[in-house]
Parts: sequence; structure tokens; C-alpha cells
Amino acid sequence: MNSVCCGPGYASPAEAMTAPSEKILYTIAIYTGTGIQKPDYLCTIDADPESSSYSSVISRLEMPGIGDELHHMGWNACSSCHGDIEKERKYLIVPGVRSSNLHIIDCGTDPRKPSLFKVIEGSEIKAKTNLSAPHTIHCLGSDIIISMLGDAVGNAPGGYLHINESFEIVGRWENSMGDIKFSYDFWYQPRHNIMVSSEWAAPNTFMPGFDLEEVGHLKYGRELHFWDLEKKIPIQSMYLGEDGLVPLEVRFHHDPDSTHGFVGAALSANIIHWWKDLAGEWRWEKIIDVGNEPHPEWPIPVPGVISVILLSMDDKYLYFCNWLHGDIRQYDISDPHNAKLTGQVWMGGLLDKAPKVNGVKVTGGPQMIQLSLDGKRLYVTTSLFSTWDNQFYPEIRTNGGCMLMVNCDIKNGGMEIDPNFIVDFGKEPNGPSRCHETRYPGGDCTSDIWL
Amino acid sequence: MMRKITIKNRGDVTYKVDHKKPLLDSLKAMGVDLPYGCKYGGCITCAAKLLKGRVNQTAQVALNNRQLNNGYVILCVARPVTDCTFEIGVESHDLLYRNPFIDPLEDHELKADIATPLESRK
Repeated sequence: MNSVCCGPGYASPAEAMTAPSEKILYTIAIYTGTGIQKPDYLCTIDADPESSSYSSVISRLEMPGIGDELHHMGWNACSSCHGDIEKERKYLIVPGVRSSNLHIIDCGTDPRKPSLFKVIEGSEIKAKTNLSAPHTIHCLGSDIIISMLGDAVGNAPGGYLHINESFEIVGRWENSMGDIKFSYDFWYQPRHNIMVSSEWAAPNTFMPGFDLEEVGHLKYGRELHFWDLEKKIPIQSMYLGEDGLVPLEVRFHHDPDSTHGFVGAALSANIIHWWKDLAGEWRWEKIIDVGNEPHPEWPIPVPGVISVILLSMDDKYLYFCNWLHGDIRQYDISDPHNAKLTGQVWMGGLLDKAPKVNGVKVTGGPQMIQLSLDGKRLYVTTSLFSTWDNQFYPEIRTNGGCMLMVNCDIKNGGMEIDPNFIVDFGKEPNGPSRCHETRYPGGDCTSDIWL
Repeated sequence: MMRKITIKNRGDVTYKVDHKKPLLDSLKAMGVDLPYGCKYGGCITCAAKLLKGRVNQTAQVALNNRQLNNGYVILCVARPVTDCTFEIGVESHDLLYRNPFIDPLEDHELKADIATPLESRK
């Protein structure tokens, strides 16, 4: 195996940081739940400041049908296959949460104009695996694993769909779900034979919208699960309780030797840190607690609702969004037990701190984020999930979502919204759409795992 | 048996549909452009407002009791018991979504599996 040659991705996180800057971005945009009877689509956005079409959508690939609710996506191959010259990061797997369809999109043949390669129908996935509601995608060596949040009719806990590199259904990946109640995100660290998964809720609970009362009825998650990666079974669950209500995105350090990882508890608005101690025990602690903020029209203060977190490729900075407050924060986590706030910017949100940015009314709050490999450019989108958008930011129906870019000072810490980058999804040709997750052709800060 | 379905916000256009088939399938087959998502009654995307008539939608799990009381129907699983009049699409969703922090649900307004019936409350 020649690790300096030619498989996808990079030999190490340090090498990834030296890669050329991203020239294009892929972002999904949805019409599901908006009233516009058009398919959701994958946008290609020009991110090359030297280009005349910088900061605009340069191509759109519509899915075959309506009602998918595109959400997250992942590559067929990442740095976990770096040593394998046969592998290529070419296909983006773009699931529909509501339809359970998996769209396999060829981004390699013409990166500026992706094309649909194959669809694995939700009905086939349900029939073969009794799973639905695909969410997170990771390639595990050459195979692909997808967290599925429900059974075929939307009940928890779901499980993991295993597809091979030819995009055929292999079956269920896990050997057991143990006592796990819910599924959502997952990340793994092969050198420690460990996978960590988090909990949202059953699709039948979260898809129709957010009933706060259902949190008290234990319809939403509050646990973190540690898995034996090779045996594919859960081995330990951590009850996070009130500190960890609705734990969503999980991120291990990019450093494959590290056992440190983080999860954002959305409703508690806390960042939870986990690690393996010297005695070999997995432990957790709360390292960041975002306070609720008063609002003139709310009977109770507004929780931040941390909808996403990510780590810079050098594991120095942790970024997260408070979707309801409207801020993105940057913390120095050089000491993962002691996070230090180093930057903060505002866009949209319910606290009225920055209703308009770069001339565009920001509807929604900062939601999905993606960081450039060198850590300097953070791309932000504003929509969370169609039904939840409709509850908290109903004007998004007519205004659409938007994408902004934040310049990050990686030396001294600090963030600033770039004044020259804005993609207004309110102006899309078929009417206002909503943008969510973003990926780059060469890999990004949430796509790659090192073996 | 056939039922007459009237769509109020499409100029009161009417369709004859089979009472055994889900309304979404019947109406789509006749060319009505309707939103939908999961197609098993769990995701609310296809919700419409029933203004007149009755449906059987025991298979739906998306709506809470407040939404049901407001007349919402999950078209992908609902079958018409009688002739019905609907308002369809997002124009009918005025009462479907609410900010859960500003406008909480009472115990009897939760989803059926966790609701406390009104008569059992003190």
C-alpha cells in the first residue's frame, strides 16, 4: 500500500489542511413542505473568488420525484481509502429523509454539473431491511454505512443500512441495536475500535414537527451510545439527562489516535465532551452551556438549539450554531476539557441581532455549517428541517433560505462574516427554496475518517 | 363505493374516488397536484384540511389531537367514509404549525399515544 499516491482524500488531517481551496460547493435545496410542487435538488455553487460566477448557483440537479426532503449527504469514498488506487471520491449519496430514497449522484464526470447515476428506492430499502429515514452517511473502507432513524413505518430505533461500493443493498450493518432507543448521527475512530451514535427521535415524532411536550414524554433522545466497531454491537450507553436533551451531531477528533469527541445537545444547548481515561473507561462532561435568552413575545426564555457542531481539521477549534438565537460560535478546544470562546457572529435568528446580512433578509438562523480544509472559510446555511422551519420561521416559505460565508482567524481566533459572499435561495428560478448541508468535491471537515 | 371529493381552494372542483383507496393515491391519479413525503402516514407533508365529511385515518401517526380537532387529514393514508370537502396544500396549513414554546399543547392535545383524555382530568 502506497499511502502517498493516489486513493481518495489525504494521508492525514495535516495533509488535508494543505489541499487546494474549494472551488465549488454542493448544497441541497428543498421544496418539500414549502408549497412549491417541485423536486428537491442539488445545487453546485461557485466558491472561487476569481470566478465571474462567484457566490452563485451554477447548476441544479433535480431529483426524480417530489417530497424527498433532502437533508444530509456523504461520499462513496473518503480518506479511509486513501491508500487504495482503485478507489475514487466520485459519487455523492444524497438521501431523502421522508421518502427514504437514496440518490447516487455522479460528481466526478463533470464536477460543475453533477448528474444522477442511480436511485435506490425507499421501497426497496424498507422491503429488504425494514429501515427508513436515512440520515448520516460514512464510508467504512469501501462499503457505505447509513444511519436510518426508523423502521419501515417510522418507529424508533431504526438501525444502520449497509450498501456496497456498487450501491447495492447488503442489508443491516449492525448485529444488534441493544437497548438503544433512538438513532441519529454517528462517527467512528477505527484505531480505538469505537463508534459513537446519538439520538434524535423516531421519524414519526420529529417529521411532523416539534411538540415540546414530547420531550417530557421521552419521545426525544438524551443518551449517547458507544459501539464495538468490529463486532457491530453497542457496548455502553451514557445517560446525559437534562444536560443532554436531544444530542445531535457527533464529532470525534480528526486525529485518528485521539479518543476525544464532542456532541451538541440541541435542546439543552450544551456541548458534551467524551474521552477515554487512563484507566480505559469512557467518560463524559459538559464543557459549554449556552444560556437561554429572554424574548419579548415568549413566555419562557429562548433556548439556543444547537443544531450542528464541527471541528477544524487540526482539532483546535469547535464551531456550533444556535439556530434559534442566531449566532455561530468558535471555541478553542486545544484543551478539550476547557473550551474558550474565541469568536462569534450573528445572522438571522429570533433575537433580532442581525436580521439582514449582506443586503439579504436572513430567514431562519445559522444551521448547517461546513469548514474549509484549511480552517479559514466556514459556509453556513439557514434551514433546519421543513416542518421545524415552518414552526419557528414561517416567513421562510416566502423568503427562502440563504448561504453565507464566515472568515475564520485560525491563528488568534475570531470570526467575521464575509461581505462578498451571499447566495439567496429566495431568488431561485422555481421559487424560494431552503438550503441545508454543504460538501466540497475534495472532502471537508465532516466527511473524512482516517483508519 | 364512490365518494364525491370537493377541493374548495381549487374552485370547488369535484372528483369521484373509491372509498377503499387512500385519498392521495386517488386524487393524484386524477391529476391533482398534491404534496406528499413518507406515504405511510408519519410525516405530515400531505396534510389537508377537512371542511365537511368524514374520513378513516386510523393509520396516521403524524397528527396530534389539536391538529386532528382542527380538521387535518393525512391524505396518504386517509380513506373517505362520506363525501368530503377539503382545502389542500400549504394554503390549508394555517393551523397546522405552531411555535411550541409560545403556544404549548394541553395534555389532551398531544398525540394519541401520550394524550390524557379530557374526561379523565380533574
